[in-house]
Amino acid sequence: MSTREGENLKEVINMVRHGIKDKVAIIGCDMTKYGERWDKSQYDLLFEAFQSALKDAGVTKDEIDASWIGIFYYFTGLSGAMVEDILRMDGKPATRVENYCASGMDAFRNASFAIASGAYDIVLACGVEKLMDEGGSGLPGFTQFGHPVYPTPSAPAMFSMAATRCFHEFGWTKEDLARVAVKNHENGSHHPKAHFRSPITIEAAMNAPMIADPLGRFDCCAMSDGAAALILTRPELAESYAHADDYVMVKANAISAHTNFPWYIPPGGPGADFTAFPSTVKAANYAYKEAGITDPRKEIDAAEVHDCFTITELINCQDLQFCDRGQAAEELKKGTFNWDGETAVNPSGGLKSFGHPIGSTGCRMLTEICKQVQGRAEGRQVPDAKIGLAHNLGGAFSVCSTTILGQRD
Amino acid sequence: MPIGIKSYGAYLPKYMLPRELVAKAWDFPTVPGTKAVAMEDEDSLTMSVEAGLDCLAGIDPKTVDGIFFASTTQVYTEKDSASLIATVLDMREDIITADFTDSTKAGTTALTRAVDTIKANKDINSILVIAADTRKPEPSTMWEYGFADGAAAILVADEENIPISIDDYYSVSANVTGPWKRADKDEFIRTFEVKMDAKFYVESITKVMSEILKRNNLNPSEDIAIAAYYYNNPRMHSRISKIMKFGQGVAQNSIFFQVGDMGTPMPFMLLISSLRRPKPDAKIIMAGFGDGADAILMQVRDKDGVRDIGKGRMGFIGHQKSMTLLKNYTKFIESKELLNKDRYTRKSSAVLIWRDTPSVYKWYGLKCKNCGAVQYPVLSRACSVCRADDQLERVKLAKEGELFTYTLDHLVGGAYLNTPVPRCVIDLDGGGRVLVNMTEIENPEENVKIGMRVELTFRKEHEGAEFKNYYWKCRPVRGRT
Repeated sequence: MSTREGENLKEVINMVRHGIKDKVAIIGCDMTKYGERWDKSQYDLLFEAFQSALKDAGVTKDEIDASWIGIFYYFTGLSGAMVEDILRMDGKPATRVENYCASGMDAFRNASFAIASGAYDIVLACGVEKLMDEGGSGLPGFTQFGHPVYPTPSAPAMFSMAATRCFHEFGWTKEDLARVAVKNHENGSHHPKAHFRSPITIEAAMNAPMIADPLGRFDCCAMSDGAAALILTRPELAESYAHADDYVMVKANAISAHTNFPWYIPPGGPGADFTAFPSTVKAANYAYKEAGITDPRKEIDAAEVHDCFTITELINCQDLQFCDRGQAAEELKKGTFNWDGETAVNPSGGLKSFGHPIGSTGCRMLTEICKQVQGRAEGRQVPDAKIGLAHNLGGAFSVCSTTILGQRD
Repeated sequence: MPIGIKSYGAYLPKYMLPRELVAKAWDFPTVPGTKAVAMEDEDSLTMSVEAGLDCLAGIDPKTVDGIFFASTTQVYTEKDSASLIATVLDMREDIITADFTDSTKAGTTALTRAVDTIKANKDINSILVIAADTRKPEPSTMWEYGFADGAAAILVADEENIPISIDDYYSVSANVTGPWKRADKDEFIRTFEVKMDAKFYVESITKVMSEILKRNNLNPSEDIAIAAYYYNNPRMHSRISKIMKFGQGVAQNSIFFQVGDMGTPMPFMLLISSLRRPKPDAKIIMAGFGDGADAILMQVRDKDGVRDIGKGRMGFIGHQKSMTLLKNYTKFIESKELLNKDRYTRKSSAVLIWRDTPSVYKWYGLKCKNCGAVQYPVLSRACSVCRADDQLERVKLAKEGELFTYTLDHLVGGAYLNTPVPRCVIDLDGGGRVLVNMTEIENPEENVKIGMRVELTFRKEHEGAEFKNYYWKCRPVRGRT
């Protein structure tokens, strides 16, 4: 660890401040089926996720005091008024949260703060994205983002530049990446809500057409549609609802925002080596500190990490301290991150199996981890999962949100 | 003090089209040789920047008092190119700029006007004259064998020890319709009767050269060492040489066979290619043609000085050595944007581009006074390494560096055009890390590598907001200093 990172760790202690540990309970959650939902709109999808979450919680929509919604794209919808248009909440407070691919988990974070502050009793955190309405050839809108002439790489291109460096530094190969895809598609084949439910082979993953060298089609998550919703309240109120015995506690939630442009950070600056994502490193440090976790590899039973690309999952496993730097490919090969391994990584199948309807993904991950720690992840339950982690990474590894959830006492 | 040529520079695109590929494409009789072809991210303006950088190698651009740009393929008809080229070359703001257009003799005309201007103004001591053309031939016409792309620059200055003096110039004006290209209608150059065009060309160019020699009491067979006159047909070239009675090897004819008819920069390029081993006191005649003709009489005053210019520059030879053959005709057609493919466009903003002039055009970055880190572009007032506020000062960045990481991006703005695009993170020599696309790379899967050396080249990016958006790209090293 460099001196700089050491200094950052000192900051972590200050940054956690009071935190929200054990101040927020999740009492209901659900998600739609993810996939190419041609016949459904964002209105249909969010309504469905919301109604399922209400039913799960055993609350009525009139009991919701306020809402936060994660939406990335303007074409899915603008402003908190989307909540009103979709759910008809009678004019109650609603806010749209946009923080790249971490939008969904940031919506959850804002909702959590509202509960922890005591301002509201029951709130909604949700996310939705309707990508397929814009066509499926990569994320739309990149020609409209940012500066007119500075290059705007596609999302796979951004992460590929990290893959190129990891190949160079750690000796990782296309086959190491393919193993991530194979593991996650195997896990996803057991999940009824996944976009893709077929296992794949290493050969298929390695021989797929290139998207951004060295990432091929199976190294990239798909374009997809979906929505997810969670109902939050204070722990003392949670006893009155459907999951009185098995509501889920928020143990920590942290965000770190780094640069939008890692390719301009000079050597010596944060993230300049392209083999670790400083936003994840920091958010994880904040979250572990808040939750009191000292050995993440042993203490985290199930983790939904942001596998937008296979390389991202390998780097995430290192940044989240599930293994040493440079060791993720080897650990994966040994089975450490399998569904029944030491730290189950993406037991749902991850973004590889669900696709990535941007604003919804953070809420989907949290929903998945809730169900894991509640022991109701049917067909994919990680044995004896008590503590789970959800990790949402956005932009050019710019924004990371990490949440730790645990069983109620 | 004598006015003359202080420096010169050239630019030839990376690619050459074998003429036999044109013959094959249209079932035409085969014509030997090759011609220089600019790619779709190049135009007269970007090639002028290259020639300008070559010409100003080792010369502070802030010392130059003006810039004249000459072309028949200027990129705007309202809005000049000279001021944009001056900006990219990082010249001063208190300079004179002008575009000379619409005739292939615009280069020689600009050069003579530069001499006049320097003579007439005590505050103007040097003017950079750059000629460039990218004439687009109509497919399946004879123009496809000839029209080639390139740029050449001459720095005219009034100073002691000028290596080549400009001693006299003379022009004739004439009008005949052909060839032409209507400003409001034509995409391609037209002609009415090529045989008449050829007669007219031979007459104008021999007349203007004969007159200037006569009034300087010079004998073409004995006194002239180098004759660099515009031509677009090797037979016409030797006919003129015979009419003029130039000595053996005097009339420069080394360009057409390999490079083709470059239009406006042709006389400059012929001159530059002839200056490798100058004879002491050699007298030079240069002539441009187009609706009349210009002749310029020059003399080598310092042969070592002339050789020194050549040493620090790519010039003609340096570019020529690093050219490669295009493998097929369709690549050529595509480079001229004749396939009518949808082009990659982005949003743009003239306001933003103007505000970012130092980063986008002049290639400046910032250096932190606190930690020393050089950074790019101008984003924050706080250092991206040590986070110190307001410690950043502007520094000029190098245009060479080493590849740190990259990808080959098949998803360019969501549209699959001209892919994959190599996206390259480059550590510039002397500091600064940048992200630029790579151009002029064959088989990128094999040839793009961490640690490879690259140099930056100014290129056309897109035409968002209906104007020309330019930026820097990198390329494998061709050797520009």
